[in-house]
Amino acid sequence: MKSKINIYLIEYALGSIIRQGHKSLFIAIVFTFLTALLTSIFFITNSIKYELNTTVDALPQIIVQNTKASRVAEIDVSSTDKLLDIPGINSVNARVWGYYYFANAGVNFTLVGIDEFEEQYSDTLEGVVKKGDFNSSGMYIGSGVRDILNSSYYKEYFNFIKPDGKIKKVEILGQFDSDTELESNDMIVMSKDTLREIFGIEESKATDIVVKVANVEEIGTVALKIEQMFPNTRVITNDDMKLSYENIFNYKSGIFLALFVIAIFTFFIIIYDKMSGLSSEQKREVGILKAIGWRVEDVLKEKFYESLILSLFAYILGVILALSYVYILNAPLLRDIFIGYSDLKPTFEISFILDFQTLFLVFFLSVPIYIAATIIPSWKVATLEADDVIR
Amino acid sequence: MNKKSKITLYLFSLLALILITQLVYLNSSKSMSADAKEKKILFVGLTGLPDLAFSSNSSYIRHRSLSMVSDIYNLDGCLREYDSATYAIANSKLASKN
Repeated sequence: MKSKINIYLIEYALGSIIRQGHKSLFIAIVFTFLTALLTSIFFITNSIKYELNTTVDALPQIIVQNTKASRVAEIDVSSTDKLLDIPGINSVNARVWGYYYFANAGVNFTLVGIDEFEEQYSDTLEGVVKKGDFNSSGMYIGSGVRDILNSSYYKEYFNFIKPDGKIKKVEILGQFDSDTELESNDMIVMSKDTLREIFGIEESKATDIVVKVANVEEIGTVALKIEQMFPNTRVITNDDMKLSYENIFNYKSGIFLALFVIAIFTFFIIIYDKMSGLSSEQKREVGILKAIGWRVEDVLKEKFYESLILSLFAYILGVILALSYVYILNAPLLRDIFIGYSDLKPTFEISFILDFQTLFLVFFLSVPIYIAATIIPSWKVATLEADDVIR
Repeated sequence: MNKKSKITLYLFSLLALILITQLVYLNSSKSMSADAKEKKILFVGLTGLPDLAFSSNSSYIRHRSLSMVSDIYNLDGCLREYDSATYAIANSKLASKN
């Protein structure tokens, strides 16, 4: 049997939406708001995950941290020699990095030391630094660090306070490219020796050790061997990082739980109102339609068009608003929940990702449910005799 | 087709047009360029540190993949939620790994 779109039924459905005036408008506004809110949250989380997953393969294959009393402690640099004895390990590098609290602005900088500015590092630095001097000794800073230092009148250098209270003056050589802002905003990169001096870390100690394995298939086995060789260490592999990135958002509590509960309750209040039956006026309307010759099928079709037009309009408008809010306005208010309260905030320009899964998820959670909630009570009334309904 | 139907049709066409234009615009100007992607990979390769520069005052969010339980509850078991980001960003499952 061929089913045709009946334009007269659509026209009648439009008339019905307009006749219900304020009620239709209210439902459209709430529906739009809920769609926009849910899709905004999903757009933000998807984009953040995309940012993280873009760089996950550039992270070290294995990170070895020393622990003491369940806290991360400095690791002996001499451990690197023992690690090199493990078959399959290609190279080992003792790293020095940590946090520096700048009391004047109340912010933490992440300081990373790299082995003097050798050629391979200079090449990499040239790739990520907007403008800078690559020949002198000093430091490269993220844009957030630059803003904080500028506000404290440190434009060309910065005075770090060492553990013994003395000052270490380090020249600012350049700033990281704004494209890396989400990663580099609070970062300062300098030579390992300078960093050791600032943190007071001895030559024989390091923050952690990164290990490179020749065959990526052996990472798990090598990690196990390191754990057996140094039982007090914490060994984190690249796969662990990937898993950690997958579970970055706590969908079962916090802001997500509050949001989902509010969204579901608000939506189901509308659904409950619809399911609890038609108003006497709407019942009368169905009765009159049946009395003048409409079949049950025609009444249901008209209700289908009515709910589809309203919900589809609200859904599309909600998606448009969410896209503008997240990617053009950079999600004001909501972004603070994700980037925290620190004064050292990145600009939150997240990359646009068109995630059809999110769009389908929100669509199927809203539009078909609303249509069903409109059709079912109408069907109950439409199957009664016309005179029973009118009376 | 009456006037109301025409207006509705125009309205839906306008919404579809806005949506398509917006998607094309965002895809061309706000998606991650190959150049930006390369710089990000270079930078992360240089520093070797994971996670994004959010909540730099809370190390268990700033470098959540490297943090331990002692970083999360470093002052008191009750003081975790002093950073608003903890309402959205979960602890790393690696935090309890030792």
